[in-house]
Amino acid sequence: MDNLLNEVQNIFRNVFDRPDLMISRESSASTVDDWDSLNHINLITAISKAYKVKFALGELEELKNVGDLLDLLHSKIKSK
Amino acid sequence: MNAYRWSDLAVGMNHEFVASFNEADVADFERISGDINPLHTDPVYAQAHGFQSTVLFGMLTSSLYSRLVGVYLPGQFALLQGIDVHFHFPCMANETLSVRGEIVYLLDAPRRIEIKASICNAERKIISKATIWVGLHD
Repeated sequence: MDNLLNEVQNIFRNVFDRPDLMISRESSASTVDDWDSLNHINLITAISKAYKVKFALGELEELKNVGDLLDLLHSKIKSK
Repeated sequence: MNAYRWSDLAVGMNHEFVASFNEADVADFERISGDINPLHTDPVYAQAHGFQSTVLFGMLTSSLYSRLVGVYLPGQFALLQGIDVHFHFPCMANETLSVRGEIVYLLDAPRRIEIKASICNAERKIISKATIWVGLHD
């Protein structure tokens, strides 16, 4: 899971154009600058493409932080 | 105007149209944007720097990507979310420009379309290429 966090952190860095951005499982839209609705779409698009997975709208609405996103992504990757 | 809804859209859908800009359009863009760079406004300057005439503003020709998305693909319900444009070749007023766009990626959640688009001149030289990201409003 640490590897997944590191990989997703790189996606965050590309999307937010911040090479030094550090995220943790507790990071969320309220703690990461510029994590607005459009960047959220950019983020999910980038993750969907990188891992060739698709999310359901309901799944995305339940995400509270990066940890939830990682858990959901992990389950998608495992079930591929 | 097209009015495609999400369920109407599929990878591979495309649209193509032609357009051109005249000197009055160039003057309007200069006034609206405030871009008074002589490469776009002064034929003597443009010719002295290797161009046959003034070069159309890249952002003026790129406005055709706005028409592509807002009028045709997907049309009325479009919400332009982002665009990445690269310019390859200059073009001049009154040239016939062909604009083509094709949906290359659909993401269900959140709903987003990715379109690859290009603008060519009459000789099929590529003026610019763009990747465009579009959402849909209700």
